[in-house]
Amino acid sequence: MVSQKALQHAEKCRFCWMCRHLCPVQHQTGKELNTPRAKGLLLSMLSKGTAEFDKDMAKAMYECMLCDACVNDCCTGYQPPLFIREARTEAVVNDLAPAAVMQCIENIENSGNIYGAEKPSFGQDGTDVLVYIGEVAACKVPEMAKAYLRLLKKAGVSAKVLDCEPASGMMLADLMGYVQEVTDQAKSCADAINATGLPTVVVLDSYDAEIMKQHYAEWGCEIKAEVVTATAYVAKLLEDGKLTPKAEAKGAGACHDDDRLARSFHEFAPVRDIAKAAGYTLTEMFNKERLAKSCGTAVALSYMPGITTKVASGRWADLCRTEAKAMLTANPQAYLCLSQCVPEGMTLVDLYTALNEVV
Amino acid sequence: MKQIIACVKLVPAAAEVALDGQFRLKRDSTSLQLNIADLSAVEAALGLKEADTQVTVLSMGPAKGEALLQELFALGVDRVVLLSDRALAGADSLATARALAAGVRCLGEFSCILCGRRALDAETGQIPGQLAAALDIPAVTNGQQLEKADNGLSCRRLLETAVETLTVELPCVVSLCEYSYTLRLPSILGRRRAKDKQVEILTAADIGLVAEQCGLQGSKTKVVHVDTKAPGLRKCSYCNPEALCGIIKGVQ
Repeated sequence: MVSQKALQHAEKCRFCWMCRHLCPVQHQTGKELNTPRAKGLLLSMLSKGTAEFDKDMAKAMYECMLCDACVNDCCTGYQPPLFIREARTEAVVNDLAPAAVMQCIENIENSGNIYGAEKPSFGQDGTDVLVYIGEVAACKVPEMAKAYLRLLKKAGVSAKVLDCEPASGMMLADLMGYVQEVTDQAKSCADAINATGLPTVVVLDSYDAEIMKQHYAEWGCEIKAEVVTATAYVAKLLEDGKLTPKAEAKGAGACHDDDRLARSFHEFAPVRDIAKAAGYTLTEMFNKERLAKSCGTAVALSYMPGITTKVASGRWADLCRTEAKAMLTANPQAYLCLSQCVPEGMTLVDLYTALNEVV
Repeated sequence: MKQIIACVKLVPAAAEVALDGQFRLKRDSTSLQLNIADLSAVEAALGLKEADTQVTVLSMGPAKGEALLQELFALGVDRVVLLSDRALAGADSLATARALAAGVRCLGEFSCILCGRRALDAETGQIPGQLAAALDIPAVTNGQQLEKADNGLSCRRLLETAVETLTVELPCVVSLCEYSYTLRLPSILGRRRAKDKQVEILTAADIGLVAEQCGLQGSKTKVVHVDTKAPGLRKCSYCNPEALCGIIKGVQ
């Protein structure tokens, strides 16, 4: 079953309920089963032999965005995603994972990405920086990737994109936990990045950046180049005057802090700097920065579209409580999830496209 | 290589651990973790593994460590043996090495024994040398990297101010530094295979030891007293820079 370390976290977590108000899935489904505490309780029952790990329990473990809102809020330092990921490993090991999850894993095995699609080529072979596009932007939101590359070109940055960009391992880690299959993907990705010899890798999707910056080294596959989030890189270009936006008022907008920028990197200013440069007057949603509510992830959207779309609609509801009409994001996964349910009268803005319009 | 044995210790996971009346760590009341340096030993063993090699993990400690040791099967470890018996409790490093050597003799022919260079709890660093002496085989300590060589193992080892590389004949004992190897994650296939495997628990009698040879009775050293450093004896106080000159003059 799950490791002793994960079980320790589950055993402590099950007594508490203090993060329930922050769980975006619990918010939208209203099921207690979708609180971190309930998942801890299930694993505790399992270890005591009072419950069986069956398909229902496995399904419950996948009804989580792994957004880390609970971790961020836990004042005692327990980490529900630690045991949830391990429970997912157990689900895959015992062939109990939902069919849609297994389909995603099969797609990754066959094509390298959850969509089972071939990644498009971006035809970039520059010499200054490597841009890691990621499978979501490449396959589902290519406009965002192209807009980003155009921005770099306008700033005079010569960017390279790998022709056959390997997966970072981030998606597989969400589907089956931190297992050797994930580190194998990570090693291939790190090798491909290191082979370019470029000093900087700009990562478009902060979920990819998180696994590269916070896990690769511990798995023995460190990236030699400096790993920079795409938002921080463009914000620096703006600060350095390499991108000079024209003044253009676009109205009020609110930035969505994606899960990883919010809680793994605590990076809040760059996305706001980009939004301001693009001409938006910023307003803030109630749940912002480290407390930002998840709008879902691309992987969850693939295997659990109904719940993920509900979670995205929860984020739209946050926006509707402000005077802003535009949801601003620079993350391809957030863009993809939020685009599933744009409320009438509201607009979803890809900040890189928006910035392109004024520089 | 026929069999590689990795010795691991289960150490308390908590930062503070209580002592019992005989100044022994109360391991039963705390959660356990694998000793950090021993993770390198396990990974090095798995890295040296060939198709016909068996990697065996040997440990000594309370039976509650079984669940933790069970996780090692998923990494590719073939056999896990836990020496667990009340008679083995309270052993000093000599009695521990004697018990481990007796355990090793029960495991059959081996090529090398890999250990962590020291444990997080007692931190004596004596076991690798004592184990090698008990088995009458050579030992290399403070290893950082191991490679197969024509006639044994090539070991890069850490010295006070340098590193050296030497070759040691098999069978041998090599102790490894903390973080010299990164322990791999389990694979899905490994987890599936691990489901059918069980940790073997051996008692002192199973490895041919009598009570006088192990545990507290078999130890040459005894902890007779433990002192806790009392804070505040130096009577420190904070002062501002302006007051400092006056204080120094007062001392003079």
